Amino acid sequence: MTLRVAIEGVSFWASRLPGWETARAVITGEQPPPEAASTRPSPTLLAPTERRRAPDTVAVALEVAARACEAAGRKPSDLPSVFASTHGDLAISDYMCSTLATTPALISPIKFHNSVHNAAAGYWSIGTGSLAPYTAISSYLYTFAEGLVEGATQVVCEQRPVLYVAFDIEAKGALATMASSRGLLGAALVLAPVSQARQHRSLMLTTESVGECHPTPARSAAAPLVADNALAPCLPFFEALASSQPRTLSLALGRQMALNVQVN
Amino acid sequence: MQTRPLRITAYTLCSAAGDGRAATLAALRERRTGLTRNDFGASPISTWIGRVAGLETQPLPAEFANWDCRNNRLAWRGLTTDRFIDAARAARDRYGAHRVAVVMGTSTSSIGASEEAYARLDADGRYPADLRRPIIHTPHSLGDFVQYALGLTGLSVTVATACSSSAKVFAQAERLIRTGLADAAVVGGVDSLCGSVLFGFNSLELVSPEPCRPFDVERRGINLGEAAGFALLEKQAPRGEWLLGYGESNDAHHMSTPHPEGVGARLALSDALARAGLQPADIDYINLHGTASQKNDEVEAKLVADLFPATTCASSTKGWTGHTLGAAGIVEAAISLIALEHQLLPGTLNLRVPDLACGPQIQRDNVQREASHALSFSFGFGGSNCVLVFGRDR
Amino acid sequence: MSATQSAGERELAELIVTALNLEGVAPADIDPEAPLFKTGLGLDSIDALELALEISKRYGFQLRSDDENNVRIFSSLRSLAAHIEQNRVTA
Repeated sequence: MTLRVAIEGVSFWASRLPGWETARAVITGEQPPPEAASTRPSPTLLAPTERRRAPDTVAVALEVAARACEAAGRKPSDLPSVFASTHGDLAISDYMCSTLATTPALISPIKFHNSVHNAAAGYWSIGTGSLAPYTAISSYLYTFAEGLVEGATQVVCEQRPVLYVAFDIEAKGALATMASSRGLLGAALVLAPVSQARQHRSLMLTTESVGECHPTPARSAAAPLVADNALAPCLPFFEALASSQPRTLSLALGRQMALNVQVN
Repeated sequence: MQTRPLRITAYTLCSAAGDGRAATLAALRERRTGLTRNDFGASPISTWIGRVAGLETQPLPAEFANWDCRNNRLAWRGLTTDRFIDAARAARDRYGAHRVAVVMGTSTSSIGASEEAYARLDADGRYPADLRRPIIHTPHSLGDFVQYALGLTGLSVTVATACSSSAKVFAQAERLIRTGLADAAVVGGVDSLCGSVLFGFNSLELVSPEPCRPFDVERRGINLGEAAGFALLEKQAPRGEWLLGYGESNDAHHMSTPHPEGVGARLALSDALARAGLQPADIDYINLHGTASQKNDEVEAKLVADLFPATTCASSTKGWTGHTLGAAGIVEAAISLIALEHQLLPGTLNLRVPDLACGPQIQRDNVQREASHALSFSFGFGGSNCVLVFGRDR
Repeated sequence: MSATQSAGERELAELIVTALNLEGVAPADIDPEAPLFKTGLGLDSIDALELALEISKRYGFQLRSDDENNVRIFSSLRSLAAHIEQNRVTA
């Protein structure tokens, strides 16, 4: 089964790859990785009340979401969105579990209301005033590919552009031994129906039932910089996008499902 | 590409009100609540809950030991009720294991297992051996378990948009079937009681010390509940009630307070009716979100009074089950389907004096009458809204 | 012209800034007589709950959300500090 969508905008953020321009240049070898890590982005589109409450997940998700919309020349409030994260807010999960184990009656209301998996999506919709629907999903190791399929499905069904945002953050505390992830990583795409955007690059996504997945490995200089983040499986996709030539790659979509991607 | 109506060829639910469709119908008919005083955990908050009894002594079958935790035990309980698992396996055999998608909703998945691990860290600060299973310490614990338990190999995803999660799964599955990525889908949701939700909602002062009273002028907040529910959607089938449409939107207002004018909710509603090709006057029954929180009920009551004729019956059934959060969508979808199947429209438990915002639609008592179309409203934390439209088997 | 903060007001100002992550607000700059909610510092009901929690942890007494004097108690840094002074259990 094949879906075709156009890519109107791309964004990317990791502490040593702060922005798609930097990430692309490092991937293609045009420039070496920055020496210093950048601090987390500041979600400027949030009002002060929301901004000061925003945890790392929200900061990185909103940064890439905003940059992708800018790159696409689309108003954020026009776009339905798909937010995907393997583990969600690991820092808050650690906080909740630690506090519940010691002083459960002293749970912070702000941290609790940031603990929902749709926190980033919620803050995005509040910050942009977008009434368009969002979803917040996870598929564990297959999260990035699944989110891409969900975004593309919505584009094809509703014949309108959709924002796709994926992110994972650093694990903290004892939970880190079960849900390992280092650093901050976020990436976003504005996907659109092919007919509306002929001048843009396009994707053909084909699902395939397989005995075992053999996803395309990441090969560029960017790979070691994000390798131990839970969302690292997204990198081969961005390596393909970084090239100006058509490329094909395979992402793992399930234990026995592959997502074959052709980037044109 | 038009939304296509889909047959619901099997469905089930397990909640504090009972296991399965027949038990739930009996509880609805007999006005028998499933709520009990909170006895969950070491120092229970003073509130009432919708607890499913027996999970503590019902571990998963040995072949699923890797996924064992309260949330997945409740999922298994749901799957094995009303022979839903047989229907799912028959669909797998009919279409192929890779052609049946799994789209599950939850809010906290199995975070209760992580909470327990933190309470029992060993001397080196590590998880106890019996809980060192990564799959139960991540949001997709539920979707992964359900897919594995059903022997499915296709698309599998966990949706976590708070209280709208297991309503949105219907919309997501319809799109997968429409684009041809799947021929059928197991949708549903499971949420279980845990410290995070009990103490979390308590910290926001949203929890009532008494049984919840949706739409009552003296309501004092929500009661939390746990539940599992599932539905099987097929692109083509000779029998079953219909998913006629859905609408989704956001409030874009505040993380824990609904938009005061119900802007997002109204959008989701009009989208749902448009997809289904129906008018408000066509709707016989609405299962409201009706959490018994101050703000939700006020906004929702006004929406119903503004937009529906007096002939539409509406109610909240959270007085039977509690607010089952990520499972609320599927539980209340299932109750809406039961209502259509049996032509019994449940009223609202514990409603004594309706809030001034309520119009004539909101029912205290059950109503037995002909009904063809039902809506289910789910309005979530973070402003995520979903309205589902169901029709009788014809 | 801001009134000057007492030691107790200063300590509370620091608690507020830290608990609510008020970026770019120096505790010493909070006018003790200015509103805390809606205008002034612009805090909302979730902030009130968060503050109540932090105050109970630091000063050992519960701020009750159904206290009819809450509007007055929470009206300014000065009134909140005074309420804490009267009710605190910890030194």
